[in-house]
This record gives sequence, C-alpha cells and structure tokens, in this order.
Amino acid sequence: MFENRAIGLALVLPAAIFAAALFLLPVGILLAEAFQTENGWSVSAYGEFFASPRNQTVFFRTLRLGALVAGVSAVVGYAAAFAIVSLPPTSRGRMFGLVTLPLMISPVARTYAWLVILGRTGFINKFLVDLGIIDTPLRILFTETAVFIGLLQLFLPLMIISLVSAMENMPRDAVPAARILGANWFQVFWRVILPLTREGLVIGGTLVFTGSMTAYITPAILGGSKVLMLETLLYQRVTVANDFVAASVIAMILIVMSFSANLLLKRLATARKSRK
Amino acid sequence: MYDFVALKDLTLGYDKTIAVDRLNLNIHKGELIALLGPSGCGKTTTMRAIAGLLTPRGGSVHIDGRDVTRMPPSRREVGLVFQSYALFPHLSVYENVAFGLRLRHEADLDSKVMAGLETVGLTEFSKRQPADLSGGQQQRVSLARSLVMKPKVLLLDEPLSNLDARLRLEMRTELQRVQRDTGITMVFVTHDQAEALALADRIVLMRDGAIEQIGSAEEIYNSPVSGFAADFMGFETILPDGSGGGLAWRPGAVVLGSGPNQGEVRGASFAGERREYVIDSALGTIKADVPVTDSRYEIGQQVAFDLPRDAAVSLVRFH
Repeated sequence: MFENRAIGLALVLPAAIFAAALFLLPVGILLAEAFQTENGWSVSAYGEFFASPRNQTVFFRTLRLGALVAGVSAVVGYAAAFAIVSLPPTSRGRMFGLVTLPLMISPVARTYAWLVILGRTGFINKFLVDLGIIDTPLRILFTETAVFIGLLQLFLPLMIISLVSAMENMPRDAVPAARILGANWFQVFWRVILPLTREGLVIGGTLVFTGSMTAYITPAILGGSKVLMLETLLYQRVTVANDFVAASVIAMILIVMSFSANLLLKRLATARKSRK
Repeated sequence: MYDFVALKDLTLGYDKTIAVDRLNLNIHKGELIALLGPSGCGKTTTMRAIAGLLTPRGGSVHIDGRDVTRMPPSRREVGLVFQSYALFPHLSVYENVAFGLRLRHEADLDSKVMAGLETVGLTEFSKRQPADLSGGQQQRVSLARSLVMKPKVLLLDEPLSNLDARLRLEMRTELQRVQRDTGITMVFVTHDQAEALALADRIVLMRDGAIEQIGSAEEIYNSPVSGFAADFMGFETILPDGSGGGLAWRPGAVVLGSGPNQGEVRGASFAGERREYVIDSALGTIKADVPVTDSRYEIGQQVAFDLPRDAAVSLVRFH
C-alpha cells in the first residue's frame, strides 16, 4: 500500500505502542495473577474458582443468558430485518433509524427505564393487577427474566443491523425466485435466506453473545446481587473482597468464552457451507 | 384455448401510485407474447402480478381456467426468468436446477435435472458454481431451472437486454426453439421493439399502465394507432392531421432535395449505407435518412423536402 514500508510502520507505531503499554501489558499482568502461587506457576486458582457451587451457578447462568439472548435476538432479528429490507428505500432508512435509536441512548438510562416498567409498582404489575389477572404484584425485577429482557433490548439492534446488511447483500430476486419455484416461507428461509445471510448471523450472534456475557450495567441494575453474572461477580470480587486472583480468573474465562463463541459460530457457518 | 391466461380489470400499484389501471388481456395457449413499452409503463409490474409477486389492488388473474389472484407464487405453476437471473449463489448449477424439483419431491431427480441442463447445452457445467459462469450461461441455467418445473406459463423479464449482440441472437434462437419444442406459453417483457418484433407472436404495447395497442408484429409495425405507438415503431416524423389524428413517416419515406416544403438541416450523421438528417421546418421537426449515394447536405443548409402522402401511416390519435 505504501511505497515505503517504513512510512507505513511509522504510522502504525504510536497506536501500537499505546495499545501495548496501556492495554496489553496491564491485561497480561492481571491475567498472570491467577497463575502465580507461592510454589511458582499453577492453574490451581481455576480449580478453586470452579469448585465453588456459587461460581458454577454464575458461570452457567452467564453462558445460558448469553446463548438465550443471542438465540432469541436471531429469531426476532430475522423477522425484523426481513421486514426492513422489504420496505421501499425511504421508509427503510426511517425504520433502520428507529432500530438504531436505542444505541444512541445511554445504557444506564435505558436500563433504569426497565425498573419503571418491571418494578413492583411498574407498568406491567399495575396493568395485571388492575385487570384482576393477579392479586399480588409479580416479582420480575432481580430475576433472570429481568436481566434477559434488559439484555435482549440492549443487543437486539446489533443483531438486526448485522442481518439487514447481510440481507441487502443477497442477490436481488433470490427470494421471489425461490417462491416461484414452489418454496413456502419456511423453505425460503431455510434454503435461501439462512445460507445467504450466515455470515451476518455469525457476526450478529458473536456481538450479542459476547456483549451479553460482558455487559455490566444491565445485570447490575436489573439483576443486582441476586442474579450475579460473571461481569458483576468480577466487579464484586474486586470492590468487595479485594480478590484480584478471582477477578483474574473471571477475566480470563470471559476472554476464552468470547473467543470460543466466535470460533464455534464461524465453524458452524463454514461446516454447513462446505456440505454441498 | 383463447384465454389460457386472462387478466381482468387488473389494477396494480405500489404505495400511493397506480402502476397499472384496469388492464384486460387474454393470452392463448402456446402463444409467445411480448409486453413492450418504455420504462415505467407497467409491463414488469404486470408480469410480476401474473407470477403472484404482487397482490392486485383490483381485478383478477386467471391461468388455465383457475382464478389465481389470491394464490401464492408457489402454487401458480408459472416460471420466471429474472432479468438478474436470480440464481442461488450458494448452490451449484445442478442444485439450482434441482431446487424446485426437490421441493416437489419428484422422482428421477437426476435425469430431470440433466435433461434440463441438456436443453440449454450446459450439462458439463453441472458441478460449477453460478459465479463461475458468464452472464449468458447464468441466464440459461435460470431458464433450465424454470423449464424443468414444466410451468404452464413461462415469464421472462428482459431476457435479452443483458446480453451482447452475439449472445442475444443465440438466446433469441434458443427461446424460439424451446417454445417450438415444448409449446409452452411465454410472456416476455422488453423495452426493445426490435426484440419484440423478432420474437413475439403478438405484441402488447403498453403506455402509462394501460394497453396502447395489441397486435401481431406486422400489425403493430405497419399500422400503429397513435403517435406514441408510431414513435416506438420507428416512425420518426409524426405530424398532426388537423382532426385529432396524425400522420407518420419512417425516416426512409421522407424525400429530400425536392418537394413543396423547405427546412434547415440541424443535424446530419453518417450511418453506413444511409445518411441521417434532422431538419427544422415550419411543419415541425423532420427526420429523414437517404442513401449515402444521394447528394449530401451540410448543417445549416436549406433543403427542399416532400412528405409523400402515400408513404404515410394515418394514426387514430396524434398523441
């Protein structure tokens, strides 16, 4: 790209030094923390972490919520994305703007709004009690359901955006062609839309899954200390217990899970593709 | 059967605009029909409505005696060769052709697919991906994919417009052969009058969402009913006849160098065996072409011309 490679290198160098010194180094030190014991290097900290039933619960809850949010956002996202790309260009732009609107609002504000809706005296409970469907308000806040709703609302736009751009890259008329050849809507989705938007689904899925796993504000506000996730547990270990070893272990688990999710989804995508 | 495909008072639109207004059309079994017209005349919209990709605002669509107006495309037994070909890029040529047959769980899949590819001369390309094929080959795959389904009506959207001159002739011959061999009813959309004239049994000339004129190639070519139809069929000098109708001359019918009228040459261009002129006159703009062997006129020169009445076509409507 550059006539002189040295110039190219010189341009990248400041950013590289910055990243190495201020990001990679501290992260490396933090991660190394867990491997150091009095008797030298060991992985015993990981064994200890997973030995605790509470930690196991938090680990599996994080995994479960991440997968659930990614899965549900894929289902909802496909429907929304298909509706958006089917619109004429002007209203498509408007709808796309509406979808991305929540991304421009602070996640703290968005999450607090859920307190108003889900709380004991919130909209939902008031509505259900007024209608006489229930006598006493439901406990929705500080449950996994609340965290799930918050995370879904937070990350759904990312899935929709990924799927919309994937669908816009599908060949024009591929869907009508399939319909004329006799495919019902389910077959159109399974045989044409899904294979042609697989990469968008992988990108969206990775963003939503890792986003949900590493979100802090939403589980902290909507789940509190009753529904801990790895991220809120990490924060708690550091601030409450000053336990940097556990924090290091959790950080490593999150990194490994993010990378494996991405690899797994990519593998799934290419495996299906090479079958035919 | 006279009304194998029948469109009755068909009204089509997108959002607030009406694209086709109460159109009536009957298509015979085995006929090759061209929907001809400029862009925006409603020809593609009409074709999409026959395929079921668009729900009519009003009126109905009948195919082989069935009212298919509310039927999804999958059940109409029509084929459509898209202008963009619309092949499935993730499937091989073979799987593209097999797509519809697999959905129907048809027996002898392999022999049917290979027979389909044979019809379009692409058997040795069966394992290729669509992206590895030329535009002309992709179109033939698309044609085979539709034909193997044995549709009652084959619709083709601008089937020749994306091809170069040589392939165009090849595809034209191919479509005529397929039609002769299978006797299938075909409706194709085009904006190119030469294409329509060369291929169609009957031409449906469309304008602003309505049918301007229907007729055989000869009828439309020789006896356009309106200024619009005449203009589309290569009559370039169109003058009012004073009573709402008009008179039209092809460029070759205009006599230059003698005659009762005078005009000034505004444009002159060489076109091989003939020379083309645009002449401004008191009657209006005259377009003429004469053999290159005739005397030559320069831009700005005054020239006498004649519009022979016996070479003119009378139009029912000037516009």
